[in-house]
Amino acid sequence: MGSTPAYALLVRFCCAVALCLLAIATTGARADGITVEVTDREGQPVPDVAVFANLPAALSAPAGTSAVMDQVDQRFVPHMLVVQTGTKVEFPNSDTVAHHVYSFSHPNHFKLPIYKGHAHPPVSFEESGIVVLGCNIHDHMLAYIVVVDTPVFAKTDANGVAVLDAAPAEGMHVAIWSPRLRDDDADLSVAISDANAGSAIAFQLKKGLRPPHEDQSEVLSWSEY
Amino acid sequence: MVRVLSGLAGLALLAAQAAANEPARYSFTAGTDISFVSVSGHPSWVDGSAGKLRYDENSEGLTVSRTFVDYRLRIAGTLNARIAAEAYDDDIGSSIDFTQAYLEWRPLTLSPNRYRLKLGAFYPRLSLENSDPSWGSPYTISSSAINTWIGEEIRIFGAELSVSRRPESLGGAHTFSLHAAAFKHNDPAGGLIAWKGWSLHDRQTRFDDVLPLPPLPQIQPDGFFWRQDPFFIPFQENEGDIGWYANVEWQYRNKFLLRALRYDNRADPRNISNRQYGWYTEFDHIGVQISLPGEVGLISQWLVGETVMGPFIRGAHVVDNGFESNFVLLTKAFDRHRVSARYDDFEVTEIDQVPLDENRERGHAWTLAYRFQATEKLGFAAEWLEIRTHRPAWAYNDLATTRTERQLQLSLQLRFGQLH
Repeated sequence: MGSTPAYALLVRFCCAVALCLLAIATTGARADGITVEVTDREGQPVPDVAVFANLPAALSAPAGTSAVMDQVDQRFVPHMLVVQTGTKVEFPNSDTVAHHVYSFSHPNHFKLPIYKGHAHPPVSFEESGIVVLGCNIHDHMLAYIVVVDTPVFAKTDANGVAVLDAAPAEGMHVAIWSPRLRDDDADLSVAISDANAGSAIAFQLKKGLRPPHEDQSEVLSWSEY
Repeated sequence: MVRVLSGLAGLALLAAQAAANEPARYSFTAGTDISFVSVSGHPSWVDGSAGKLRYDENSEGLTVSRTFVDYRLRIAGTLNARIAAEAYDDDIGSSIDFTQAYLEWRPLTLSPNRYRLKLGAFYPRLSLENSDPSWGSPYTISSSAINTWIGEEIRIFGAELSVSRRPESLGGAHTFSLHAAAFKHNDPAGGLIAWKGWSLHDRQTRFDDVLPLPPLPQIQPDGFFWRQDPFFIPFQENEGDIGWYANVEWQYRNKFLLRALRYDNRADPRNISNRQYGWYTEFDHIGVQISLPGEVGLISQWLVGETVMGPFIRGAHVVDNGFESNFVLLTKAFDRHRVSARYDDFEVTEIDQVPLDENRERGHAWTLAYRFQATEKLGFAAEWLEIRTHRPAWAYNDLATTRTERQLQLSLQLRFGQLH
């Protein structure tokens, strides 16, 4: 890189000031929240990243908590779902074709034999971890369920920002996960040691991102032959 | 054997259908292509001559170039059956016949490895072009030289076991797979590449097709290979040896795919059954497809092999031909339109030292295609195809040995059924 032009520095400075103001405004509006910002190597925001705060003790969802992983146009919707342990996840098939949903992810593996509509009861995920979903009929179908043992979780928005609905506290770990991230696990988790400093956390990734799932070209046919 | 296989598959389908008591256990796509063809080239091999195109000046004009049905049935949760049949407007074989008929078992074992077993008659895992129902191509009307040849001479009557893995450590974005097959009934495969050479068209050989051969002097009743009938049956077993292929594959989402295959039919080149020589044919194949920026797709395949036939003379088989082809296809889709361009290069070389059977050729082809999908059931395709070949054997039949053959094809493509 050569020398940075003065106007670029000015723009960066203004952005930094704006971000600080935004951060102050956000934390001001939600004094009890933790603002988490995820940026890539180049400093660009990363949307759709799971953000969660692990508490000193694991906590499962109250009975009756449910979530939905739908199947529409031979895709899972959403592409990534974040749930608390103990959540019952429904897998309705809203397609005209049958699906055969499975996951090999230990220890949350399961399979739902070929079905349409609401043929199967919901699946309860009791262990934290990443659950990679597939369909035995349509190999291109892929989705993730992030199972966390804390009620404090969110997803980053288009600005790469998520606000966790919890007061920062000693012993808390804030972690992020997305199938696009390639950084080491150690770099994706931050321990909160000082309650005041923990209200705004920034993750800047060290490794490049995998392309987003939505960026799936239809120009070529990916046959099963 | 072929008839028995297809009969069994048909019976299995009927039985399963009778047992089926819920809807949507089956799906099918049927279609027909009504074409206008204008051509300038040698008389076509389909009419018993030696030209490379499917059509010639006698068959050009309006034609129902292809009618097909591709039917899939779910017999049980992880067991499926598939049959595909094609009908062509020519004098080869029956009016309609099968091109594929197989059972596929996809067990889910909850281990990170996924296994699949195919049993029956199917295509090897090779073509990157023929991904539409019944092995059609979404890009062009005529397949590349490589995939045209696969459609003409290669079919797997046997079993294929696949193992694939999508490591979660890589975010589930990469899939690695291995496919291995054992087969019979492909012993004459290789004869067409030697005696006719490479072609570009969309006609697949059906199970019981008997293909014409060019009227070469060496296969006439007074020729050196008088024991060979002047026609060709690619799908038969001569001596009982089992052939094999193995393919490895790496796919990165819908961005990139790389596959590499080795095929060996292990035919005895001296064996003649049913007045058809066995052709000992081996080839290697590499295929790659990449989704490039700007919604442009690239497909490239490369195939190189050797085929050997006939008795030993002076320490070598009488016929020993090398063959090689590659192509690059670029395609761009926008809205309901698609344009594709392909360049094919192909060659057959003489490895034997016997002059009586001259099969050398060298050529290349350009294909430009446009497709418009008006509705799910109605499409339109236009294709310009130009093949330039130097083939000394054309002199046997008083045809110019260097020729540029050209074909324009306009097709109305009608599709029915549960389109998938």
